[in-house]
Amino acid sequence: MQRKDLLCPTSGNKSRANHIAAFGHQRAKQRDRISFRYPNLHSSIMADAIESKIKNYRTAPFDSRFPNTNQTRNCFQNYLDFHRCNKALSEKDQDTSPCDWYQRVYKSICPSVWVNNWDEGIEGGSFAGRV
Amino acid sequence: MLALVKKQLKNHPALIPLFFFIGGGTAMSMIYLARLGLRNPDVCWDRKNNPEPWNKLSPTYQYKLFAVNMDYNKLEKNGPDF
Repeated sequence: MQRKDLLCPTSGNKSRANHIAAFGHQRAKQRDRISFRYPNLHSSIMADAIESKIKNYRTAPFDSRFPNTNQTRNCFQNYLDFHRCNKALSEKDQDTSPCDWYQRVYKSICPSVWVNNWDEGIEGGSFAGRV
Repeated sequence: MLALVKKQLKNHPALIPLFFFIGGGTAMSMIYLARLGLRNPDVCWDRKNNPEPWNKLSPTYQYKLFAVNMDYNKLEKNGPDF
């Protein structure tokens, strides 16, 4: 599961190695186990939690992946996550309303010019990001 | 060249602290740049094999040395899984 990548080393730095978790492979395994036994349970729990979060939404919360002043990556990552989430959930035939969280966040952070350009790119097939 | 520097230092020993301070400053700058290039979560070196390394960090990962008014232990992943 862990690829020793010369250019992106994860070993040798204790604090970072201790914190690597959650977003990647392990979460996928855990998700598959839950969704195998209870096909609709995980998605419905998630949908309720997210629905309440979306209802109480004020602004984009602090994201520890992007702690610095430059929030460009934050904006682009949420835009990508919105479209990836839509694609993944509609492929599994689940309700795509939890993905609205990512839409709220990117609409809060991203300049509207960028969003318009990217939307046109997605419609026309010229969008450069991996969705 | 090092022999020349040593000879000059022997004649002017008051210049030795100069080496310490300038060397220390250079080292600190290089260390900061290396930390920024290798540890900063915003950075991606290998787009093909490791495209989004910031997604592999935990929500409580702290990059900044001093975090004022932000309790990293209480943070969780914001968006839904998919």
